[in-house]
Amino acid sequence: MGKHPSSGKYAIVGLGVIAGPQPDRSERMIGAEAARLALEDAGLTREDIGGAIDLRRSGGGGDRANYSDAYTRVLGLKNNFYFTCGRGGALAGLGIAAAMSYLDRGIADYVMLMGAVTDWSQSQVTRKKGFRGMAHAEKRGYWGKPVGDSRAASHHSWMAARHMAVYGTTSRQLGAISVAQREWACKNPEAKMYGRPITIEDHQNSPIVAEPYHLLDLSQVSDGGIAFILTTADRAKDCKGKPVYVLGQGFGEVSSDLWWEKKNFTHMAVAPAKKQAFGQAAITIDDVDCAQLYDCFTAEVLFQLEDYGWCDKGEGGAFVEAGSTAPGGSIPVNTGGGLLSCYHLGDLTGLAEAVRQVRGDAGDRQIADCEVAMTTGHGGELVSPGMCSIHTCTLLGKNP
Amino acid sequence: MTAQPLVLTVTDEWKKPWPSIDQDNEAFWDGLKEHKLLVWKCQDCGAVYWPKAYCQNHDNKPFAENCEWVPASGRGRIFAFNIHRWAFHPGFKEELPYVYALVELDEGPLISSQMVGDDLPDDIHTVGQPVEIVFEDHPNEGFTLPKFRMVKD
Repeated sequence: MGKHPSSGKYAIVGLGVIAGPQPDRSERMIGAEAARLALEDAGLTREDIGGAIDLRRSGGGGDRANYSDAYTRVLGLKNNFYFTCGRGGALAGLGIAAAMSYLDRGIADYVMLMGAVTDWSQSQVTRKKGFRGMAHAEKRGYWGKPVGDSRAASHHSWMAARHMAVYGTTSRQLGAISVAQREWACKNPEAKMYGRPITIEDHQNSPIVAEPYHLLDLSQVSDGGIAFILTTADRAKDCKGKPVYVLGQGFGEVSSDLWWEKKNFTHMAVAPAKKQAFGQAAITIDDVDCAQLYDCFTAEVLFQLEDYGWCDKGEGGAFVEAGSTAPGGSIPVNTGGGLLSCYHLGDLTGLAEAVRQVRGDAGDRQIADCEVAMTTGHGGELVSPGMCSIHTCTLLGKNP
Repeated sequence: MTAQPLVLTVTDEWKKPWPSIDQDNEAFWDGLKEHKLLVWKCQDCGAVYWPKAYCQNHDNKPFAENCEWVPASGRGRIFAFNIHRWAFHPGFKEELPYVYALVELDEGPLISSQMVGDDLPDDIHTVGQPVEIVFEDHPNEGFTLPKFRMVKD
């Protein structure tokens, strides 16, 4: 089967990244500056941007007053549309799909996509009131909060626990994922944990937060912003930087087909997403040079390695323990350090790293001859059995 | 197995996140106050859901009018659990460490809550332990929380 007509028809042409604590800036200001950096990177101007998307884990809902001013106004983009989009950690994948439809119809020639957070700065305030982790916010419709499910670590640790019970996976094996990603982070000066290598003993000795999860199974709480520009392949050739082509995209929802199977706790909705994305690109996982797998916690990486087929179901523990995802391993995973060791900007973390790897801009951690990079997203509602329903897969390539 | 489910009464001031009660689950929360664990059952085919949903097994009538809330047995088995050693919310600090379990009810659906009692699961590699419902009344706040405790098989 050949490629889908949409494969390679669109490309990312500019990237702007702001990382590290931003105590003196709002999300909006971080966003405006990240977008300016992306324009500069692409050699474009504000007038070129026909539309803008604000990638937020709360999507279009949430704190509307906060959205009453936008990064686009601050920066002075001349966009004809602007909206918020996202679902938990599934941000860039959804945003790219939406942007393509505007480009396809000529509504915009270039679309700016940006996501920014000040989670770390906010957490410093709520920490003083006795809360731990990310800043505290009540959400309606969220079942577990009154009975002990306070944070993502609360319910995500079930996934690890269930996998451990069904397949015999161990905490040390989950720790191997954390150690491998820290090794990658130590090659990335932008990573929060740059210069701070860890061993498996460090993982095992780190505090147990919600058993089976140790502190070192958890992702970072971060400030920062990432912006990128999507355009058509013909326009991309005239931009300043090297284009990174969108080869394929796929989506899956565990709520749709796992209603009674209760596989959600050891699987993700990879099957449909994989079929769609790899089908469009007409490639296989053997063509993937590096995988930026959504890693809010260690077990999510393990599930995806199994679900995509780098190893068999239940074999993920042994696979990661052998160093397969670390530098020098058979499939480099989360090569910038990922959410675990670099910074947590949802799937934008993996997207930015994939763009850099395909462009050859990844410095000491550059994968040789990186032609295809894969990036995934994950998130959604927290009602069992369809917990964190969505899975997104985006394949990026050096050639269209 | 006990004939009547255990009921606890807590009069301490509520310092945790409040239950999120809306049009979809109000009947469920009313049931808890009457010490019933309600699940959503299709009268046509007997399929059981929690939370509320259209029945998945056949073309449905307008908003699941063939479904109704019915009392569940209150028994089930642990599907997955964790042991919190950090209180992300300060309201849980005094209860550390606490076990938070995902329970597969005998009727099928999964529901999650805190485990109570002295007999608690502790081996994270094991699942399938039998549990039963405990109703925790909060009369000052006007709600009842469903919790679970271990029982003998």
